[in-house]
Amino acid sequence: MSVPLPPSRRLPRSLYLHIPFCRRRCFYCDFPVVPLGDGADGTRSPSIARYLDLLHRDLAAAPAGPPLSTVYIGGGTPSLLSVPQLQALLAAVRRRWGLAPAAEVTLEMDPGSFDADRLRGVLAAGVNRVSLGGQSFDDGVLAGLGRCHRRADLLQACRWLRQARAQGRLHSWSLDLIVNLPGQSADLWETTLAAALAEQPPHLSIYDLIVEPGTVFARAEARGQLDCPDEDAAADRLVHTHHRLAAAGYGHYEISSWALPGHGARHNRTYWTGAGWWACGLGATAGAGAERLARPRTREAYALWLQQRAGDQGGDGPPWPAPPVDDLLLVGLRCREGVPLRWLAGASGLTPGALQADLEAALAGWRRQGLVAWDGGRLRLLPPEGFCLSNAVLRDLLAWWQGRRGADAPGRPSPAGCR
Amino acid sequence: MTDVPVSRIRNFCIIAHIDHGKSTLADRLLQDTGTVAARDMQEQFLDNMDLERERGITIKLQAARMEYKAADGETYILNLIDTPGHVDFSYEVSRSLQACEGALLVVDASQGVEAQTLANVYLAIANDLEIIPVLNKIDLPGADPERISAEIEEVIGLDTSQAIACSAKTGLGVPEILQAVVDRVPPPPDRVEEPLRALIFDSYYDPYRGVIVYFRVLSGRLRQRDKVLLMASRKTYELDEVGVMAPDQRQVSELHAGEVGYLAASIKAVADARVGDTITLAADPAPDPLPGYTEAKPMVFCGLFPTDADQYPDLREALDKLRLSDAALQYEPETSSAMGFGFRCGFLGLLHMEIVQERLEREYDLDLIVTAPSVVYRVNLVDGETVLVDNPATLPEPQQRTSIEEPYVKLEVYTPNTYNGTLMELCQERRGQFIDMKYMTTDRVTLHYEMPLAEVVTDFFDQMKSRTKGYASMEYSLIGYRENALVRLDVLINGEKADPLTTIVHRDKAYNVGKGLVEKLKELIPRQQFKIPIQASIGSRIIASESISAMRKDVLAKCYGGDISRKKKLLQKQAKGKKRMKAMGRVEVPQEAFMAVLKLNQ
Repeated sequence: MSVPLPPSRRLPRSLYLHIPFCRRRCFYCDFPVVPLGDGADGTRSPSIARYLDLLHRDLAAAPAGPPLSTVYIGGGTPSLLSVPQLQALLAAVRRRWGLAPAAEVTLEMDPGSFDADRLRGVLAAGVNRVSLGGQSFDDGVLAGLGRCHRRADLLQACRWLRQARAQGRLHSWSLDLIVNLPGQSADLWETTLAAALAEQPPHLSIYDLIVEPGTVFARAEARGQLDCPDEDAAADRLVHTHHRLAAAGYGHYEISSWALPGHGARHNRTYWTGAGWWACGLGATAGAGAERLARPRTREAYALWLQQRAGDQGGDGPPWPAPPVDDLLLVGLRCREGVPLRWLAGASGLTPGALQADLEAALAGWRRQGLVAWDGGRLRLLPPEGFCLSNAVLRDLLAWWQGRRGADAPGRPSPAGCR
Repeated sequence: MTDVPVSRIRNFCIIAHIDHGKSTLADRLLQDTGTVAARDMQEQFLDNMDLERERGITIKLQAARMEYKAADGETYILNLIDTPGHVDFSYEVSRSLQACEGALLVVDASQGVEAQTLANVYLAIANDLEIIPVLNKIDLPGADPERISAEIEEVIGLDTSQAIACSAKTGLGVPEILQAVVDRVPPPPDRVEEPLRALIFDSYYDPYRGVIVYFRVLSGRLRQRDKVLLMASRKTYELDEVGVMAPDQRQVSELHAGEVGYLAASIKAVADARVGDTITLAADPAPDPLPGYTEAKPMVFCGLFPTDADQYPDLREALDKLRLSDAALQYEPETSSAMGFGFRCGFLGLLHMEIVQERLEREYDLDLIVTAPSVVYRVNLVDGETVLVDNPATLPEPQQRTSIEEPYVKLEVYTPNTYNGTLMELCQERRGQFIDMKYMTTDRVTLHYEMPLAEVVTDFFDQMKSRTKGYASMEYSLIGYRENALVRLDVLINGEKADPLTTIVHRDKAYNVGKGLVEKLKELIPRQQFKIPIQASIGSRIIASESISAMRKDVLAKCYGGDISRKKKLLQKQAKGKKRMKAMGRVEVPQEAFMAVLKLNQ
């Protein structure tokens, strides 16, 4: 059988750079971050300078590859870097791989961590997309999240970004919000959405709160002091958000992402389609085919790893093993367009007919409820209700696949080995 | 080694409450007599089942033969016969007491006497055993040997002037204990010349040699290659092996009256050589068996169903195998429209039930659904017939029956008097009838109740422990059947009757139990693709209802490249967990839900 698969033989054309520094750790955050205190600033902080030395070594020793089409500088709070620090980083990236024409270069920025001048410098350095960590327009909510910035900072930041875009200095920007927070009523969420739309961001990322273990929120929850909306209220809010944004012209193209036409995040799409990406920096994870390579999450371990660095960025290089069925489903179903059935057939070793029959058996109930479809050659979740229940659908799919593999073993060759 | 004169044999056991140090002391005795070298010592040698070692409790008893050179320069044979430490196994305890002339009463020098200890000491006294009080753990800061001695005198009426203070952990007092066994435990009566009568006090199944029987010779002799008759099972066997436990099995040519040993005779199942049976010679049988033999009767029943219907034959095979080594386990096939094929199993008590369940899952790798425990009801029918019902779902319809009787137990709870109030309240809630309350010491009391067994086999023990911070202990024994106004409470999930959740309750409690049950089920059954009504009914009358809303939201908002492996592991685990659920109709019900009736008070 000829098996077209995701581009796992291609060298990555994307790069993720991790800048772990923050002023404070927010109450919901379990990312590898290093809180530096409210006065922190890239030029004055020796911690940041030392880390950037490591990151430059990481970049310099990274495997070569074709020019990049997307670069994403995330964190942490990368907007704590000074303009010269950012310039140096992007220069290193250009030296290592080069940037393709019209490459998307995104920088995560926090309100209150930059001003109009800094933004001007950042854009001049080569950043053309900004992801703004707004989270909420309500001062009470922001304080409850442990954020440094307030509503006024956010409004100000949005104004600068809007101006930059109007003047053609910025190609696109995204506003991050968090929904279903403790104490966030339905009315308050509607107010937040309205305020966000008033700022006309071309892209919105709206994250349903996840209480991660080890966070301040997790401890509050364990004490019974985290007053989050219940499942029904939370689902209502997600569904409302979908319709409200659709009416404003935003397409719900991924579980947590909405964009005006032409403004979908190109970088994030590499994660969801199974394409590979390079990654540099503390705790950053690179992806190559089915392989994931995570760098250590502490500075000491990261420094040591850089000294001993071996076989990084995906083992022996291409071709990497194709993503197995589970991975295709896990990342692919996040997007509105879903996963091509021919990829699933290829990775599972099933004929298209057998695959159809299996999907029918595993997902008939979900399809009847209008949450899943597999017409048009693609298996996909139907927003908004299908997105809201993606884990439940995935569990049924994974159970199906576990059963399939159990039934197949040991006679047939492992389907993941088909390429 | 078996030409030892009867006068130099001492047979004894250790009576102790769980955690009071019985196993540690037993280990120490083996070590101090050189029976087991310190370097070969696995902790708690006598408890050789993994499960027992993990739980720190003795379930099945074992025995060990020690040689001890006493103060008089003579070498004595000391046979230590271990006893199980749980109320589920009181029959086995009584048989091992019958095999001894003496007992070490081990009491934690800070904790004092507990109900279980008390019950066993009375049993030992009734068997005419010489009792040597031992105060253990005197090295611990909280030890108060004077107070505990006084308590033993007051509560049990034993003379404690010669009580031995010891620390099994450090070895302090252990030589004194060994010498006391020689000095104070009487030698067995010399009945070597009488016909053979040996008491089986334990047995286990060995896949290569058949059942290994542990016994005490009370009279006569037993030789290699003798042909024996088991008087209760009426089976005869030719011996393959006779030996002693030192503590590993060592063959000998002969054992005589007073001695303790083991035999192997290609016996196929422990049920053929039950604890309490009498071994005699086929050619020259004793006129009467030893007194006291009964077949252990299961008191608690539950349904066992494989979560995966394909595992039914495996479950049958596993039960067949377990039965070889567990004579008290009973089972018969059960079919339920909701659960498919499974077995109705009978157990001595809740601990026995848990042990069997755990062994099935651990040793045979089965995924099981266990239904809530039930007792055996006696149902009197309109036609004058009486039927026994151990499965609530099979209780005859009201119009077919005239009355229902349920088993009652005499319950004794032993507690510091500060917890009187809360325990009496608990007993009251559980339909207990107060009989009396005795002050054993100035601050400890025994509460005496008569109570339906059904109330005891739910979460009574856990409640008692949690209400008294673990200080109270209990003991119960069956006293007979009583008629009560009982009704069958059914549960309907998504409109379908869920047999395994059916319970029999007192009419006065039915409404509260029904309401509690549907609320608990709502909590324990996860939301599913559609709305699920949960109802409790008596006959056709719905007395409580709840519903589980359809699932609405289950999504991970953020899943970037790096997160995928963590998320994948989680979802894969949950997908596997779906197999641990039983599909009842279209509803997936997790194991915990079948035990909901035990969790109404949490």
